[in-house]
Amino acid sequence: MRNWTKFLAGLAAGGFVLSATAALADEIRVGITMRMVSENGQKYGQMVMDEIGLINEAGGINGHQIKATLMNDECKSDKGVANANKLIFQEKVHLLIGSTCSSVSLPIVDVTAKAQVPQIIPHSTNSQITQKGSAWVFRVPVSGRFYAGVNAKYVGENIGKKIAYICAADAASQNDCDAMQAQMKSQHGADPAYVAQVQEKEVDFRTHMQKIKSAGVDGIMVAALAETMSRALIQSYEAGIGTDVRRIGSSSASNAPVPKISGDAVKGVFYAAAYSNADTRPIAKLFNQMVKDRYGIHAPDHDFSQAYDLIRIVEIALNNSDLKLTNSSLAADRTAIRDAIANVKNYQGLASGPISFCAAATPQCRDGNKTPVLIAYKKGGEAFETEVLARVNMPEDFGL
Amino acid sequence: MALLETRGLSKSFGGLKAVSGVDLKVQPGTVHGLIGPNGSGKSTFFNLVTGVYQPDPGSHIEFDGHDITNLQAHGIAALGMARTFQLLRLFSEMTVLENVMVGNHCKTSYGIVESLLGTSRVRQADQNMKEEMLDLLEFIGLANFADIPAGELSGGQRRLLALGRAIAMKPKLLLLDEPGAGLSPVNVDKLMETILGLKERYELTVVVVEHILKVVMSTCETISVLDHGQKIAEGPPEMIKNDHAVIEAYLGRELPDDEIRNAIRGQ
Amino acid sequence: MISFITNFASAIESLAKIHRLLPWVIAYILLLFLPNLITATFGEYYVDLANRCCLFILLAVGLNIVKGFCGQVTVGHIGLYAIGAVTSALLAQNYGLPFWLSAPLAILVTCCAGLVVGLPSVRLEGAYLALATLGLGESVRIMIAVTPALGSSTGIMMIPAPTIGDYVIESFDHYFYLVMTAAIIGIYFSFVILNSSTGRAFKAIREDVIAASVSGINVPFYKLLAFVISAIYAGLAGALFAHMPPGYLHHNNFTVIEMVTLLLMVVLGGIGNIWGGVVGAIVVTVIYDQTKDYYFYQPLIFGITMVFLVVFMPRGIGGVIEQAIVKRKFIEKHEEQNLGTS
Ligand SMILES: Nc1ncnc2c1ncn2[C@@H]1O[C@H](COP(=O)(O)OP(=O)(O)OP(=O)(O)O)[C@@H](O)[C@H]1O
Ligand SMILES: [Mg+2]
Repeated sequence: MRNWTKFLAGLAAGGFVLSATAALADEIRVGITMRMVSENGQKYGQMVMDEIGLINEAGGINGHQIKATLMNDECKSDKGVANANKLIFQEKVHLLIGSTCSSVSLPIVDVTAKAQVPQIIPHSTNSQITQKGSAWVFRVPVSGRFYAGVNAKYVGENIGKKIAYICAADAASQNDCDAMQAQMKSQHGADPAYVAQVQEKEVDFRTHMQKIKSAGVDGIMVAALAETMSRALIQSYEAGIGTDVRRIGSSSASNAPVPKISGDAVKGVFYAAAYSNADTRPIAKLFNQMVKDRYGIHAPDHDFSQAYDLIRIVEIALNNSDLKLTNSSLAADRTAIRDAIANVKNYQGLASGPISFCAAATPQCRDGNKTPVLIAYKKGGEAFETEVLARVNMPEDFGL
Repeated sequence: MALLETRGLSKSFGGLKAVSGVDLKVQPGTVHGLIGPNGSGKSTFFNLVTGVYQPDPGSHIEFDGHDITNLQAHGIAALGMARTFQLLRLFSEMTVLENVMVGNHCKTSYGIVESLLGTSRVRQADQNMKEEMLDLLEFIGLANFADIPAGELSGGQRRLLALGRAIAMKPKLLLLDEPGAGLSPVNVDKLMETILGLKERYELTVVVVEHILKVVMSTCETISVLDHGQKIAEGPPEMIKNDHAVIEAYLGRELPDDEIRNAIRGQ
Repeated sequence: MISFITNFASAIESLAKIHRLLPWVIAYILLLFLPNLITATFGEYYVDLANRCCLFILLAVGLNIVKGFCGQVTVGHIGLYAIGAVTSALLAQNYGLPFWLSAPLAILVTCCAGLVVGLPSVRLEGAYLALATLGLGESVRIMIAVTPALGSSTGIMMIPAPTIGDYVIESFDHYFYLVMTAAIIGIYFSFVILNSSTGRAFKAIREDVIAASVSGINVPFYKLLAFVISAIYAGLAGALFAHMPPGYLHHNNFTVIEMVTLLLMVVLGGIGNIWGGVVGAIVVTVIYDQTKDYYFYQPLIFGITMVFLVVFMPRGIGGVIEQAIVKRKFIEKHEEQNLGTS
């Protein structure tokens, strides 16, 4: 028992010593906080680290190595904020990458704004992230305000105006669901035919499906995380709702588990995203191959493509910034990196459209990708296939 | 007027009538014995009177002029009834001193809000209570163990502490459920002396359940006998000793009269 | 290490003999220098970590009152924390109340909720009580998750930091003074309660409900009181968490995982031991922070630690130390007696 207390005390003390090691000069320090609780999450965390490793192997940035620190925030805001504080104040990073969850990115925006550290977001769609007026935040993915617009536009014009909604309680799905309903109203004057608020991990949709069936709708929007969405899709067919009723996914329909779990039920489901792995451009084919070889992933979704684009943008920005990288130049270096990211214009990568930033602390400037793509599943199951339905360039003021 | 009076006191568990229609009066200032074979309902009687069990409808319990039939245990305790348990039920992780202080709970002179704020009055009152309780521990011979957990006491010391905790309530009526169980004969005698001493010192009325009949016969003014939940006899010791129903209840019919009498006299 | 602690304990005792509050005042004054010390030795991030430790100390000490003193199993404590946080945040945001008003009101609301969480304890025990309180705690979280006015999916943002006049308490070290003061006051009152008739009533209920009730203790009342007092701690911790920059609340901060972590703190520190709860809160928070890189194994490690603790160290760190101190006192007393007789 004595040993136990000694052991624990030793562990705590050891931990302190480890993290108290001083930051080295002459390196570009990059902190990353992401949700790494799922297998996919860990893999794209790994991809970010690998890509940074490759930059370093190729000689780094203007001769400087990048020191990257990757932390898990479990998609929890308190953990994410703690990570951001640690990265900013302890690791003294020049740039913060993260998070992959809106509910974590939202509070971190305030942390980076106050500490004056550039923050670039790989995968959070909540519109408010860039509406807080922070001059230090950049968003690589397509903002929720564009997604909502493009979905509603396509649905209203091509499917119909009588739409039922199943909305799960997680952050992203709620946001998608609310935005879609608002857009259907504002673009087409259509009220929801049916709305069901369900648990984040709801398992039984049967009563909802029966009601939707008798309501005779044109389409069903299922806004939920991957597994929940799959269950809802399958149960919609089990309830006897025919293929003439189109299924519309929320942003997480893009996640690989959806077609895998849903099987045939996923056919015809389309979703708006920032990347399609059915993209036929050579850069996309190369990327798909790379992710498959390195991480064993059959068809990477936009979680991967955005993380990859983000690293390329960071690389460009870092190459264009004039960094001193001394202990006293930290604030100046952070500002320089921020300004360099703001100067990235018309970056053409994997994303559905060009990514551009500008200096003003406005959503117009800081939501990089304004061109969502609509993707439909042609085939479900392990070897699922997708096709591009449409690419829509949204006006930069849309949804503000 | 009787200090405790039950009329038609009954309690059944499922089909089993553990106590059935017991009328009993305890006169103030007496030591009243309650005897009966195992399972005859003595402990259940105590549980009913102290509010641990809810009596069956039709029962009536009066204590010190109050109708306590439907009162909860803590309310009855506050009126001045204390008891010990056959299985002691000490607060074994609390210290000996704390055990008797809990017994003194009803006599706390400060309110709950005050106790949470820890005002100087609270500290003063607690200090006074502590001294008083140490006196009590001194009297029952546990003062040296005041600060050790009750669970670490020996069997005999535990019985004393159970007694002390009940006395700490400064009750009018003290119910003792087999106070001498598990003690050697010498220690039982000592214990009875202590009990009688406490009775004088704190002016108590005592009801005692005890299987060692010799002890009951020598200390009690009145004895009530339960069998199968019913009161089968009541009276002074000499009368109980010779009561035929009592003798039957205890030993069945088979033994010759002399042996039975000897057994009951505890020889 | 143990002998160091026992020496330390007797030093504190002799201070307390001079004046009851002296050790507390000295500790408080010393702690005022802690942020500077931490920043100088480890870096300012560790002040933020210390702040989080203080929040968890409040939670653990509060949980200890209901679980440790009174023996009532509760898995709803994190729900109370959530109620305190959300109430204070909304009062500050929607009605512009200053922290110094919104926090006490939040505590009041949390107390009422504590009463509700405690109600099942009047009839239920053990696993059933755990289930009932778990249900209540979770329903708080789900309520927050589905109600837009309570933040729902986006969370509550930009909750203002506490202010004194024009000064905003937002830096790590200034927030430390706030949460540390709250934690010290919380610990102090925990001792006051433990040593009062109320504390003895709690412990008596934990040890034996029937014996407690025939000793004149109103068992249902004191059980509810324990829940309400623990709710004061949870509500205060919640309010302090809500207003801690960047002032953001999201329902996923209040899940069963957080509750289990909290239980681990109390179990590790020693159920029913106040300092144990404090040590448990610090140790778990710090180790969790320092082992973040092993995120993959963390849940596993936590689970195994919990099992080991329950099996091999049921009284936790606090219990081990307490035993050492008691033993030492016992030995000292005997030595004194021996000297007296020889
Ligand atoms: N809570 C209970 N539930 C069911 N039956 C009970 C309960 N308490 C007591 N009984 C039953 O009631 C009867 C009387 O029990 P009680 O404990 O009152 O006897 P007793 O006279 O105290 O016996 P002993 O001398 O062995 O202590 C027994 O048959 C017992 O099994
Ligand atoms: Mg009995």
